[in-house]
Amino acid sequence: MTGLGGMTSETAGEWEKVLVIFAAEAERLVSSMEEGLIALEVSPADDLLPGILRGAHTLKGAAGSLGFQAVTDYTHGVEDLLQALLDQRLTVNEERVSLLLAAVDHLRDLSQASLAGVDSLGAVHKAHLALLKSTASAHPSVKAAPAAPAPLSLPRLPEARGATRGRSRMDLERLDRIVTLTAELSVARGRMTQFLTRAEGSGASWEDALAQQREMDPLFEELQEEVMKVRMVPVGPLFRQHLRTVRDLARSQQKLALLELEGEDATLDTAVLDALRDPLLHLLRNALDHGIESPDERRAAGKDPRGHLRLKAYHDAGSVVVELADDGRGIQRERVRERARERGLVAAPERLRDDELLRLIFEPGFTTAATVTELSGRGVGMDVVRRDIEALRGSVSVQSQEGKGTTLTLRLPLTLAVIQGFAMGVGDQVYVVPIQGVQECMEVPADERSSSASGVLSLRGQPLPYLRLRQVFGLGGELPARENVVVLKHPDGVIGLAVDELQGEGQRVIRPLGKLFQGVPGISGSTILGDGRVGLLLDTPTLVRRAILRAGEPGEPADASSSPQDLLPPSDAPRALSRPSPLSE
Amino acid sequence: MNNPNEPGGARSSYLSFMLADEQYAVGLLQVREIIEYRPVTRVPGMPAAVQGVINLRGSVVPVVDLAVKFGLPPRPITRWSCFVIVEATFDGQQTVLGLLADTVREVLELGPGDIEPPPAFGTRVRLEFLRGMGRQEDAFILLLDLDRLLSLDELLRLTSAADEVTAPMPAPASAQSSGAALPEAQGNG
Repeated sequence: MTGLGGMTSETAGEWEKVLVIFAAEAERLVSSMEEGLIALEVSPADDLLPGILRGAHTLKGAAGSLGFQAVTDYTHGVEDLLQALLDQRLTVNEERVSLLLAAVDHLRDLSQASLAGVDSLGAVHKAHLALLKSTASAHPSVKAAPAAPAPLSLPRLPEARGATRGRSRMDLERLDRIVTLTAELSVARGRMTQFLTRAEGSGASWEDALAQQREMDPLFEELQEEVMKVRMVPVGPLFRQHLRTVRDLARSQQKLALLELEGEDATLDTAVLDALRDPLLHLLRNALDHGIESPDERRAAGKDPRGHLRLKAYHDAGSVVVELADDGRGIQRERVRERARERGLVAAPERLRDDELLRLIFEPGFTTAATVTELSGRGVGMDVVRRDIEALRGSVSVQSQEGKGTTLTLRLPLTLAVIQGFAMGVGDQVYVVPIQGVQECMEVPADERSSSASGVLSLRGQPLPYLRLRQVFGLGGELPARENVVVLKHPDGVIGLAVDELQGEGQRVIRPLGKLFQGVPGISGSTILGDGRVGLLLDTPTLVRRAILRAGEPGEPADASSSPQDLLPPSDAPRALSRPSPLSE
Repeated sequence: MNNPNEPGGARSSYLSFMLADEQYAVGLLQVREIIEYRPVTRVPGMPAAVQGVINLRGSVVPVVDLAVKFGLPPRPITRWSCFVIVEATFDGQQTVLGLLADTVREVLELGPGDIEPPPAFGTRVRLEFLRGMGRQEDAFILLLDLDRLLSLDELLRLTSAADEVTAPMPAPASAQSSGAALPEAQGNG
């Protein structure tokens, strides 16, 4: 990076490129300093300072070579304090780390300001810089050794650069592969066209046609896979942002907490990652608010005064699992029961199984803002997290041991664009659900055939509540000769969807259903079917939730659901579920 | 607002079509194409006028039955039924939409002199949805203002322009009570 000074090119284009490189480099350096500082605070004994100092030094060099005076000056101040810590003239403590973290924030701002053409220190920056300097020289016991730059003049830059270049090389290889595949496909397509135009005259058979088609198929599938991969990004950057969040949030509540990361390389679709952002922050806040105890409490319980959060990602059976575990106080069952009684969420909370009880924290209305802080369990806006995750066709689950901690598990699809879907027909309409949710299918016994919108079947002796889509969607028409139930896994157990026919599984490309259909409950997208018609992708959790809501309506018999109007976005009062689950009993 | 808003003197083209024996027309510039009827995938929970979606060469396009919107009686799908694909703007976003028509008539050239302001009452369609009445020989053609008619608010409005509380499901009724002309003739997938 230091070499850039010489090439301050006249051409604006070159300069632009240099700025882009600086922007990326500065962000990388600042983030790694930030992570280093957070780690340093936790384990001051580790040999982390040289790395942090190297980062600062590299940033200073880069900014200096571009003539960004503000960043250069400010970084110099940061280096002074870091050097003092490295020389052990000062000890690492929370206050100094906070000072440095604030400085890191300033560096981030200043770098961006420089790129935008503002190269000066604001009043806040100046004040903080002065503070850094005075802190650094607070202990002039050892005369500030004229900083030994010897080891620092060899920043680890080449290696770091190699890494970034390595990544872009990977992208390039992928791009090459895509180009090649496209070319191969167009050749195959050309052959197919030729074949088809000549087919009639040449007496070619269906077999031949199929053979041609089979040639194209794998090419196409590979192309699709490659294109999908382009959208995949690692979770690491999102995870790492929260290192700082956790530290600062914990401090603001006089707690100590450390976030550990695992599986940062796990990748998922950019869109899924974006949608994960808010729920994840919510869960972290929750863990800190309600899970992690104060240092005193923790000591009394014989735990490390510093709470540990572990954020982990891994791929599992076509989905990504994101797990947040804390070693806090866990969810206190008695409080959940109390709360459930208070809010009238369940008639007899003591009769619930443990997992059912824990799931109550995801019910809307489980907590209200007024009682958030008194409640030592979880549940602040957990219904929102659940809704967000389910909107992504994912699921949330919770395990908790009192006194030991809580683990929340989010299961997300790798991508939103394509699913392995299971199609079912009702009349002339086709609906699709993700295959992962399908447990089994069965025929509806003759004595259960009816035209009510819902009912209960027996599945190996267990009750299976089901929805009859024909009625739920107000499709009308006659009952079919045979009716099938698709048994779906649902967070609260299993539920069934009664349909006319089962059409089997296949890969489905999901398309959103435009503005007009936003807010249509129970439908989350559409897909073009093999015969060219449009199938709708069902949002089963919402369908079930609405069915429960209706079942809880006083004096409304079940058949109220036969009119499609019932499915309109609810203007109904935001009342809590009066029965959380006919599914659970 | 009821005045014909043609720029002074210029003639404009309109596409006319039939809905329950009445003739309507829309500005040709807003028409993308006309396609034959194909089965509609119904989206539950929508007002009856919004019939559902169809596949238009790989795009999922909403289709609207203006007859329901205008409170016209249900009619069968015939071999002449088709979708007039038009462009509308939802929240500033260009959206493609299909209008179900009983049959498409013709392209008309109308000058300002051929367009009368709509009468204060008596038309099926609410005045605010009309640009005017096109005169063609002795007949009048209702010129629709698609920008107003096909707004999100208007489409999501529960009840149609004319009616009180419609029976819950006029749409399937219209598709099935096809007593008249060859309901099977349209079965092109």
